[in-house]
Amino acid sequence: MLDVKRCVITGLGLVCAIGNDTDECFESALNGRSGIADVKCFDTSNCYSHKGAEVGLATGELAKGKYDRTTALGIKAAGEAIADSGLDMNSEAASEIGVILGSCIAGAASVEKYYRDKENGGKGSIDDLKAIPASVIAGNVADYYKAGGITANIVNACAAGTLSVALAIDLIRGGKGEIFLAGGCDAFASLPFSGFHALKALDANECSPFNHSEGITLGEGAGVLVVESYEHAVKRGAKIYCDVLGSGVSSDAYHITAPRPDGEGQMSVIRRAVDNSGLTANDIEYVNAHGTGTAKNDEAEFLSLKICFEGNDHVYASSTKSMTGHCLGAAGAIEAVLTVKALTEGKLPPTTGYTEEDLGVLKEKAGAVNFIANKPVRKDINYAMSNSFAFGGNNASIVFAKDPNPVKNTVRKYDLYVTGIGAVTGEYSEETGDYRANIDADTFKSYGVKTAFLRKLDRLSQLQLLSGIKALEDAGITVNEDNEDLIGICIGTSDGPMTEIANFQKGIIRDGVDKGSAFAFPNTVYNAAGGYLSIFTGIKGYNVTIANGNQSGLQSICAASGAILFGYEDIMLATGTDECTEIDDGLYSDLGLKGKGGFTLGEGSVTCVIEKDSSADARGAKRYAKIAGFSSVRDTSGDTANNQRMSEAALTKALENVLAEAGMKPEDISCIYGFGNGIDKIDVFEMEVYKKIFSDNIEVRLVKQDFGEARAASASLQFAMLAKDIDEGRAANGIAVSFGTSALYSAVLLTGA
Amino acid sequence: MSNEIAEKIKGMLVERLRIPADELEYDSELFGEDIGLDSIDSIEIVVGIENLFGVDLSGASKEDFRSIETLTAYVEAHKED
Repeated sequence: MLDVKRCVITGLGLVCAIGNDTDECFESALNGRSGIADVKCFDTSNCYSHKGAEVGLATGELAKGKYDRTTALGIKAAGEAIADSGLDMNSEAASEIGVILGSCIAGAASVEKYYRDKENGGKGSIDDLKAIPASVIAGNVADYYKAGGITANIVNACAAGTLSVALAIDLIRGGKGEIFLAGGCDAFASLPFSGFHALKALDANECSPFNHSEGITLGEGAGVLVVESYEHAVKRGAKIYCDVLGSGVSSDAYHITAPRPDGEGQMSVIRRAVDNSGLTANDIEYVNAHGTGTAKNDEAEFLSLKICFEGNDHVYASSTKSMTGHCLGAAGAIEAVLTVKALTEGKLPPTTGYTEEDLGVLKEKAGAVNFIANKPVRKDINYAMSNSFAFGGNNASIVFAKDPNPVKNTVRKYDLYVTGIGAVTGEYSEETGDYRANIDADTFKSYGVKTAFLRKLDRLSQLQLLSGIKALEDAGITVNEDNEDLIGICIGTSDGPMTEIANFQKGIIRDGVDKGSAFAFPNTVYNAAGGYLSIFTGIKGYNVTIANGNQSGLQSICAASGAILFGYEDIMLATGTDECTEIDDGLYSDLGLKGKGGFTLGEGSVTCVIEKDSSADARGAKRYAKIAGFSSVRDTSGDTANNQRMSEAALTKALENVLAEAGMKPEDISCIYGFGNGIDKIDVFEMEVYKKIFSDNIEVRLVKQDFGEARAASASLQFAMLAKDIDEGRAANGIAVSFGTSALYSAVLLTGA
Repeated sequence: MSNEIAEKIKGMLVERLRIPADELEYDSELFGEDIGLDSIDSIEIVVGIENLFGVDLSGASKEDFRSIETLTAYVEAHKED
C-alpha cells in the first residue's frame, strides 16, 4: 500500500503585470486593478491588437540579468516563495528541495535574440542558444538557489502551471520527495503574440472573459508554490497556508487549439480533481476558472461549470486573467497562488470589466454559478479549485482546502508491466551526416492516418504519432468508449518542436509580428505531439509532456508509473521523442556538441505501454518485463553555474535507489543500457560510476552508436531494448539510465514479467 | 480561368498548408474529407492570397473557398492590375 500523504502549501511567490510580489498581486486582484496596457517590448504597429500585460521589471533587474526572461521570472517568484516558506537554502535541507516548473514558450525571447543576431550577420550568442529549450528552466532555477532535489519542466502549454503543482503532489505521495518549488513561468514574447494574432485569437481591446469574449490578452509572469508533505512542514515548524488535496488531468481528444464545445474534457477534469480530493462537487466553493476570453473557451466553460456544479448554489467563480492577462505556462501557477490567497483570506477576486448592461447578460449565461463581477466577495470558504485548459486539449485542475483530506489514506500498490513497444528510429545518412527516420505518407496511410490529418503535424508530432500507434498495436489495445478514460499519455522530449519554433520566429523576424502563420503556430507548443496522439487515438485520460533533457525519455516512464500507481489510469503510453532536422543540426553544431569530438545526432520516437497488473491480466496482455524500480536524482555538487556538469553522487544515488526499490543487489543486474553518446568525457564518467557500483565486468549496452544521439528517444529506446532483452532471455534484470541538465539522472530497473 | 493564378494558389497551399501536391487538383474540394481544411487553414489562405495578389478575401463567401478554381475566380475578379 502507498500512503496518501497530506500535502500542504508553505510558501508563495508571484510576479505578473498586477504586482511584483504575492501581496501586491492579490491586493490588485481584489481591487480590480488591471495590468493590461499597450505592448512595450516589441513593435505591434501593424497588428490589429496592441494590448499586453507585461511585468514592470526589465530582464536586467531580474536574477542578476543572467538568464532568459522566462527563467528570470521563475527565479524571481521562486525567491519569494523560498523566503516566505522560511526555508534556509544554506542548510542541509536545501539538498532535498525539487523544482517543477511549467512553461509554454520557454526561451522564446532568446530564440528571437539568437536568430535576429544571425539575420544581422552575427554568429548568435551561445548564451542565448543555451537558454532556448524548456529543458533548462527548472534546472537553472534549482541551481540558482542551490536546491538539490529533482527537476522537471512541464510543457503542456496553458495547463503547464497547474500540472506542475499536480505532479509535485504525486511525487511527494509516491515517496519521491518531500518538498517542491512548483509553478510556472513565461515571458511576454513576439512568438506567442504573433501566433495568437494570426489565429485572430487576440482581443483588439482588453480581454473580457465571461463577458464580451472577443479574444485573449497575453500576459507574462511566474507563480511558485512551496508544496510540502505535512510531516515535513510540521517538523521544521513551517507556516502552513492550506492543504492541496488532489488534482485531475484529462485530454479532450478533439482539436489542437479549440476546446470541445460540449465541455466534456473540462467536465472530466473537474470531476477527476474533485474525486481525487475525496470531495463532491457540492463541496467546492470557489473556482478560479480558466476564463481566457475567447468565445470558444468561455462558452464551453460556462457550460461545463453549470453542469458540473448543478445543485451547488454556493460556488463562486472568476477569471483573474481579466487583470493578469493570459500568462500561458505561468497562468495556472499564478492562478493557484491567487486561489490559495483567496481561500486562506476569505476574499474572492472578481472578473473585471463588466458594465451594467453586461451584468444583465452575465446573469443569463451564469445559471446557478455565482460569477464574481467587478468587486471581490468576502466569504469564508473551505475548498477552492483552480482550472486550466490548454492547446492540445490538455486539461488540469487542482483543489486546495483549509482542512486535510477526509477520505483516502492509502491506495493499493500495483505491479507495473511493459505490455507494448512502438519504435521509430533513424538510419544513418551520408548526405546529412546524421541518423534520420524514414516516415513517409504511405506508412501513415497503412495505419489509417489520412492526409488531411497528417499534413497538420510537424515532424516531432509525426514521429510521436507513429510510435504511439505502433505501441498500441503491439499491445493489442483498441481505444474505445470503454477504455478511453483509462489510458493516458506521458511524452518525454529534450528539444520539443524546435524546428517549428525556429522557423516561426525566423518568419516573424523576416516578415513582421503581424505576419505569423496560423497554420504553423499550434505546432510551436511542446505538447502538440501529445495532443495529436490523443486526438488521433481517442485517448482521453492523463496527458503530460515533460521536457527535461535526454533523460525525459525515462522520466516519462517514472511519471507514467506514478499516474497508474495513484489510480488515475490503468494504462499509460510513456514516450521519448526528438527530431533531427537542419534546424536541430545547426543548433547542436553551434553548441559544439556535434561532429568531431562530439556525437552524431539522431532522431526518433519510442512509445512504451506501461500497464498495471489487473488490467494486463484482464486483457491477457503480453508482458515484456516488469518495472521493479524507478528513480530520478540530482544534486548541486560541482559548479552550479555550469548546467552541463556531471555528478557521480547523483548518478550513484539513482542506481542505489532503483536497486533498493527492487530489493536487489548490484550483482543481480545482468546489464545496463547506458547513455554513452561518443563524447569522451561523458562516456568515461559513466563507465567509472558503473564499475564502482557493479563490477569491472558489468555489461553496458549502448544504443546511440547504432541510432545516433536521439536524446529523449534514445533514453526510451534504451528502456525498450532492455524490456525486449528480458523478454527474449538476453538479460534477467537490467537498468536503463539517462541524464539531463543540471546533474539530473533517471534510472529504471526492469525484471522478468 | 487563369492557369498562372491557379498554379500560384496551388503552390501557396502546398507550401503553407503542407497539402501533398499530387493530391491537389484545381477542382479538389478544399474543405471536403480528402483535403480536410479547417478554420485555421482558411485564415492561412486569406494571408497567402493577400501576400500573393494583394486581394482581400475577408468579403469572400464560403463558396469562394471551395476549390483552387473558385479562389482563382475570386482573385481574377478582385485583382487590381
